[in-house]
Amino acid sequence: MGKKLFLLLNKAAVRRILIFIAFLVLLALAYTAYKAFGQALDDRQRDWWFIGSFFPRTDDRNMPPILDILSEFGKSPRIGGETYISQLFSGALFTLREAFVAFVVGSIVGLVLAVLLAQSKLAERGVMPWVIVSQTIPLIAITPLVVLWGQANLDFLPWEWKTWMSVSVIASYLTFFPVAVNGVRGLLSPSSEHLELMQSYGASRVSILWKIRFPASLPFLFTAFKLAATAAVVGAIVGEISTGVSGGQGLGKLIFEFARTYAAAPERLYLGVIGAGITGLFAFGLIVLVEKTILNSTGQQIRE
Amino acid sequence: MEVVSISNLSKIFNTGKDNEVEALREIDLTVTKGEFIALIGPSGCGKSTMLRLIGGLIPITSGELSVNGKTPTKAREERDYGMAFQSAGLLEWRTARKNIELPLELMGWSKAERIKRANEMLELVQLGEFARSRPAELSGGMQQRVAIGRALSFNPALLLMDEPFGALDEMTREHMQDQLLDICHKTESTVIFVTHSIPEAVFLSTRVVVMSPRPGQISSIVETNLRAGDNTADNTKIRNDERFYKKVTEVREALYGK
Repeated sequence: MGKKLFLLLNKAAVRRILIFIAFLVLLALAYTAYKAFGQALDDRQRDWWFIGSFFPRTDDRNMPPILDILSEFGKSPRIGGETYISQLFSGALFTLREAFVAFVVGSIVGLVLAVLLAQSKLAERGVMPWVIVSQTIPLIAITPLVVLWGQANLDFLPWEWKTWMSVSVIASYLTFFPVAVNGVRGLLSPSSEHLELMQSYGASRVSILWKIRFPASLPFLFTAFKLAATAAVVGAIVGEISTGVSGGQGLGKLIFEFARTYAAAPERLYLGVIGAGITGLFAFGLIVLVEKTILNSTGQQIRE
Repeated sequence: MEVVSISNLSKIFNTGKDNEVEALREIDLTVTKGEFIALIGPSGCGKSTMLRLIGGLIPITSGELSVNGKTPTKAREERDYGMAFQSAGLLEWRTARKNIELPLELMGWSKAERIKRANEMLELVQLGEFARSRPAELSGGMQQRVAIGRALSFNPALLLMDEPFGALDEMTREHMQDQLLDICHKTESTVIFVTHSIPEAVFLSTRVVVMSPRPGQISSIVETNLRAGDNTADNTKIRNDERFYKKVTEVREALYGK
């Protein structure tokens, strides 16, 4: 039975991947088709019954050919230098480390907040507005502050403070929010029957939290973790760019470099987009895998 | 021995506010050990409220209420109650056995003791082979049996049941009734059982407490006790017995006020 289920899941997973690839191919075809159309408008300076005045014209600079983009992965800035794909790979690893730390720190902060907020109406009314306000402040407004704090005297720490740690702190600012919000919903999800039952056993608040509220919130938390994982990657990239990681090797640094030199090679801008996308997808997939394993073992439903 | 003693008990929700509701008025009732009390009455008459008051889940407004000579809160803290509700209320992430272990965990039993008792309870409710099944894999009746096993697992002095068979089909329901009686005789439990079904109340109980519409008052108490202390009585015979129908009529008349 268990084995059958596993096979079924695998089949579904394979189908999902195939559909994903099919859409990718469709996207590439649509891109190429529009490129040809826009270029035709541009080359011939035609108006074709006013169509030309409605659709933007294109050229190789703002829509480089897909094959050029793909071949750019294999190129390197200097002859014999590191190829862009290998730069992107090591950049992704660097960024993933920051994102991972941000994910862990943000999740812990989010969980603590959720437990606090779920304890009483007063706590929720007092703290929830601040949690929401925190998300209306753009990340780049926070970064200089965090960078400054990172330069403060942090000798009391048992480890040396590095710039990438500041980036993690910045990214964790995006990750704690979904965990806190979904965590509260999960912790408050047990029915009144379950709570009355625990009360009838004379259970303490702590054991209600530990034996009922926390397990009941697992499906909610995984929904949050999926959001937090992708947010951690985005946060880390934005954090890298806005802290200007000196000597950093993350995706943000590469994206910044590609943007700086776009005039020479507009294809490279797409390398950054694709690299960041794949990295985010990887982080997301990792959580989905853990979610499936854990919720299968606890017999709980995955929330879509 | 008196297990529950209630005198002149009243319950008013939201006292002094616009939505003030008088749920129960001047209730007097004494339940002795080994009794099976069925509480019956129209919807909203305060049956469940009464059960929650006895269970110490909500405070009384006036009057006196004691369980085993203690206040309900004290009795609750000392784990005198086993409770079962209309929906089984099993934890979906725990197996049948782990669900039964829940109250035992809270009471600090050792792991070995817990497993031993949980297995005994599963045998008692005839679910021995389903120890490792999760609630989602069990039928409604089976879930309810696990819930009853859980309620009985720590030998509570008093079993409080709020329409535990309300959501089951008639056949399962009768089967569960037979099992519940069997278990209660074996464990010598005292039970207060809320139900909407007149035949169920008559069949299970030693006394049926009939309540009036809001504000809930005890309008009459019908002595049923069809088994007269004989625990080996044939349940099918009792269900077909003339006395059973007579008592059903008696409770119905008390309920609808002739």
